[in-house]
Amino acid sequence: MTYHITSALLGLTIAFGILFLVRRDHLHGPYAVWWLGVAVIAVLLGLFPHITDWLALRAGVGYPPILVIVLGFGLLLIKILTMDLERSRQERQIRRLAQRLALLEVQRPPETTPPDPPA
Amino acid sequence: MDNRMLMTPPGSPIILIPAHNEQDTVGAVVQQIRRLGDWPVVVIDDCSSDDTARVARAAGATVLPLAIQLGAWGATQTGLRYALAGGYPAAVTVDADGQHDPASIPDLLAPLAAGEADVVIGAFPARASRNLRWAWAYFRLLTGLRIEDITSGFRAYGAAAIAVLASHEASLLDYQDVGVLLILRRKGLRLAEAPVDMNPRTAGRSRIFHSWWAVSRFLLQTSILGIARIGFKPASDRRDDPD
Repeated sequence: MTYHITSALLGLTIAFGILFLVRRDHLHGPYAVWWLGVAVIAVLLGLFPHITDWLALRAGVGYPPILVIVLGFGLLLIKILTMDLERSRQERQIRRLAQRLALLEVQRPPETTPPDPPA
Repeated sequence: MDNRMLMTPPGSPIILIPAHNEQDTVGAVVQQIRRLGDWPVVVIDDCSSDDTARVARAAGATVLPLAIQLGAWGATQTGLRYALAGGYPAAVTVDADGQHDPASIPDLLAPLAAGEADVVIGAFPARASRNLRWAWAYFRLLTGLRIEDITSGFRAYGAAAIAVLASHEASLLDYQDVGVLLILRRKGLRLAEAPVDMNPRTAGRSRIFHSWWAVSRFLLQTSILGIARIGFKPASDRRDDPD
């Protein structure tokens, strides 16, 4: 029975950590959806680890824990790939914004640029 | 961008000088250019920590101040967006370190004015070290571009090229040379080369070809760009949002 407790503790800790962060508004909408999904799966697999055995049997996997690892690894890869896609999109936006700012700043004479804060 | 930032009446080419910590040379470059012609001179200050912006302004240039450092291409693109917003028919990019001889600017502009090309690259093959020669040959092989001085930053862009390069599509480039030429070719623009003079004292120095690490990164990133574009046919029918 002990591995049940370990697994449940792990699943619940992950889920509550995620819920805490979402409730504190630390995660932007679309990311919160992904991570809430992760929390649900963590709770399910933590409380009912036999789901894995059942799934593995269906999928013809001889050693059930490896199924969790393979699926988890695949999802991580997808997540990291989409993160880099998102970062590239943001990098483009940041560059465009910096350029736009420079184009706007040039329209003001130099003496109206904000002075350095007084020492 | 609206037309309020139009500084001088269109018709005149604009000179763009991207500069990062070039206070010692940028003033002389600007003055030299202003002595040669009545062109508007714009220095794009790539977040310099020195006096570049003030020196450039004092020399009579318009200064576009970047709030974060975007690198040589990001700064150049800022200038091209400025040129696009102002409706300039041509833009010449000149390095701020005094490497490019402003006296060659008319040679770059002539093929544009004659309608022979959309982009003119200032070529000074004599500057190349053995390594740079090797890199040029490699890029020519990889991209199929028939240009000798493939990494030259001394170029004249016509209105069509300015519009293409000011677009979002060109904003994720990190280097101003091969990737830029590939975009231009893909859009069906005509590239030409013109022999120019460069200052041999500074022409050997390069921002990229000074450390093996920087060179490797440049070669790898540019190779990926080149390989990723294999099979893309030049197309002029594709359209992009202006901004």
